[in-house]
Amino acid sequence: MNVLILSIFWGIVMMFSGIALKKKGIATGLAIAGVLILLLGNLGDMSTVVITTSTFNDMLAFRGYNVLFISIVLVATLMYFLVSGREIENVGTGGFDYYALIFFVLTGIVIASSFNNLLMLFLGIEIISIPLYILTGSDKKNLKSNEASLKYFLMGSFSTGIMLLGIAFIYGDSGSLAIVPAPSPFGFSFTSLPTLSAVGALLLMFSLAFKVSAAPFHFWTPDVYDGAPTVFTSFMATIVKAGTFIAFFRMFAGGFASVQGSWGLAMQVIIFLTLLIGNLTAVFQQSAKRMMSYSSIAQAGFMLLAIYAHNDMAKEGFLVYTAAYVLATIGVFALLSRVADPGFQGFNGLAKKEPLLAATTTICLLSLAGIPLTGGFLGKYYMLVATAKAGGPFWLVIFAVICAAISIYYYFRLIIAMYFKEGNPEMAPVSRGLKFWLVVLCVLILALGIFPYEVLLNNLLSL
Amino acid sequence: MDVLLLQAVKSVATADVNSSINYLPIVLQLLVAIGIVVLMMTGTHLLGPKRKTEDKLKNFESGIDAVGNARQPMAIKYFLVAILFVLFDVEVIFFYPYAVNFRALGWEGFLAVLGFVGFFLVGFIYIIKKGALSWED
Repeated sequence: MNVLILSIFWGIVMMFSGIALKKKGIATGLAIAGVLILLLGNLGDMSTVVITTSTFNDMLAFRGYNVLFISIVLVATLMYFLVSGREIENVGTGGFDYYALIFFVLTGIVIASSFNNLLMLFLGIEIISIPLYILTGSDKKNLKSNEASLKYFLMGSFSTGIMLLGIAFIYGDSGSLAIVPAPSPFGFSFTSLPTLSAVGALLLMFSLAFKVSAAPFHFWTPDVYDGAPTVFTSFMATIVKAGTFIAFFRMFAGGFASVQGSWGLAMQVIIFLTLLIGNLTAVFQQSAKRMMSYSSIAQAGFMLLAIYAHNDMAKEGFLVYTAAYVLATIGVFALLSRVADPGFQGFNGLAKKEPLLAATTTICLLSLAGIPLTGGFLGKYYMLVATAKAGGPFWLVIFAVICAAISIYYYFRLIIAMYFKEGNPEMAPVSRGLKFWLVVLCVLILALGIFPYEVLLNNLLSL
Repeated sequence: MDVLLLQAVKSVATADVNSSINYLPIVLQLLVAIGIVVLMMTGTHLLGPKRKTEDKLKNFESGIDAVGNARQPMAIKYFLVAILFVLFDVEVIFFYPYAVNFRALGWEGFLAVLGFVGFFLVGFIYIIKKGALSWED
C-alpha cells in the first residue's frame, strides 16, 4: 500500500516541480530521491509499517511474494535512473514530465502485481500502458517515434479490448471477478473450467501475452522498441515487462493454476512459438537495438515457462530470472543509447576506446545468454528445472535449451564486434558516474548468480 | 424451447440451460444479421446504376476542390480545449449520484467528494501552469 500511495504522490510532485523549477539537471536527482522513498515504503510494507491497512475490500493484497517483487522492480528502476538519467533529461524539456509518467507506470506495476480482482488487473495493466504510449512518442519531431506511438496505441487498446472481453466472459459465467475460478452454475470440475470461463481465460491470456510481447502477439514489439527513444525502450523492455509479467504470473500461476487443463496447451504453444520466433529472428537482425527487442521476446519465452510450471521452484526462479534479465538489459541499453550507430558495425572496436564500458556490457550480455556465474544462468536453470519438475512436456525443456544455445550466437555477435573488430565507434561522452553505476550493476548480476539466496531469495523465506 | 416464438421455455431445469438448443435464437439472429448485410450489399451492387465520372470518384471535400496535402502541422488549441472540457464535464457527472445520496452519505461522503474535487483541482492547476489554456502564443 505504501508504494502505491507514494508513487502516485511522487508522480504529482515530479509534474509540479517541472513547473516550479526551471533549472536543468534537478529532475534526475528528484526522481532518484523518489525511488529511494518508494524503497523505504516498500521496506515498510514488508515489516507492516504502513500508511493505511486498507486493501480496497480485498481487491488488492500486499503481502509476501509480490512485495518482494515490487522491491526488485524498484531497485531496477533506481539503477535505470542512475544509469540513464541524463538521457531522459535530454529527450524533452528537463524531463520532469517523463519522470512523472514513469512514476505513474510504477503505480500501475504495483496494482498489477498485487491485484486480487480482475478489475484491478485491468486497471493496473491500463495504468502501465497509457503513460507508455506517451513515452514512446516523446521524440516528437521524429516520424518513426510518432509512428511507433500510434501503432502501439492502436494495437494496445485493441488488446485491452480483448482482455475486457475475457473478463466479461469469466464474469458472465461465474458471476465473480475474483482471480480464483468460482464455481459456475453451468458445472465446475477441478482441473478445467466450464466452456465460457475457459474462453474468457484464453482471451485474457492472449491479451496478457500481447502485453508481454510473447509470440504470436509480438508484432508490435520490434517497431515500437525501435521507434521509441532508446532510454524509453530500455524502460519498456525491462521494468514494464517485469511489471506485466507479474500480472500474468499472478493470474495464471496463482489464481487459475488449479485449472491448468483449460489453458496449459495454449500456453505450451505460446512458449514454443515465442522461443522459436524470438531467437531465430534475433539471429538475422543487423541492428543491435532491434536485436535486443527480439531478445526481449525470446527471454519472455523463458519467463513464460515459470507460469506454465507454477510450482515453488518456478516462483523462486521467476524472481531470479526477472532480476537478472532486467538488470542485464538495463546495462546493455545504457551502452546502446550512447552509441551513435545502433547497427552492429557501430560497435566495432569499442573495447579499445571504452574498455570498461565494453567489459560491463559483455557481462550483461553473458548473463542474458545464460553463461554460468551470472544471474541469467541461474534464472534459466531454475526455469528448466521447474518445468521438468512440474511434469511439463520434456520436448519443451529440450527445445528451450536449444534456443538458449542459439541465443549465444547473437549476443556474442555484439561482443565480437566490440573486441575483435577494428573501428572507431562514434559515441556520446561517458561520465565517471555512469561507469561506476554500470560496475555496480554488473556486481549485482554476478552476486545474483553466485549467492542467489543471500542476495534475494532469503527475503522470500522471511516473508 | 418454443420454436414459434423463438424463446426458451421458462420451466427448463437449471442443468438443461447449457444445452445447445437454447442458443438457437442467437444463431438465427446472427444469420439474419449477416443475411441482411449481404443482401443489401449485393443488391445495391447489382441493381444500382453505375455512372463513374471523374468528379464522382474524387475525394469528398465538402464540395471544394482538394488543395495540397492534409498532413500539415496545425494548431491544436480547439482540440485541447475540447478534450479538457470533456474531462471537467465528466467531473460534473460524478456529482449527480452524490447529490442524490447527499444526506445518506454524510460527512464521510462529503470528504470523499472533496478529495475527488481536490485531485481534479491539482490537474486544473497543472494545465493552467503548463499554459494549455493560453490562447495567444
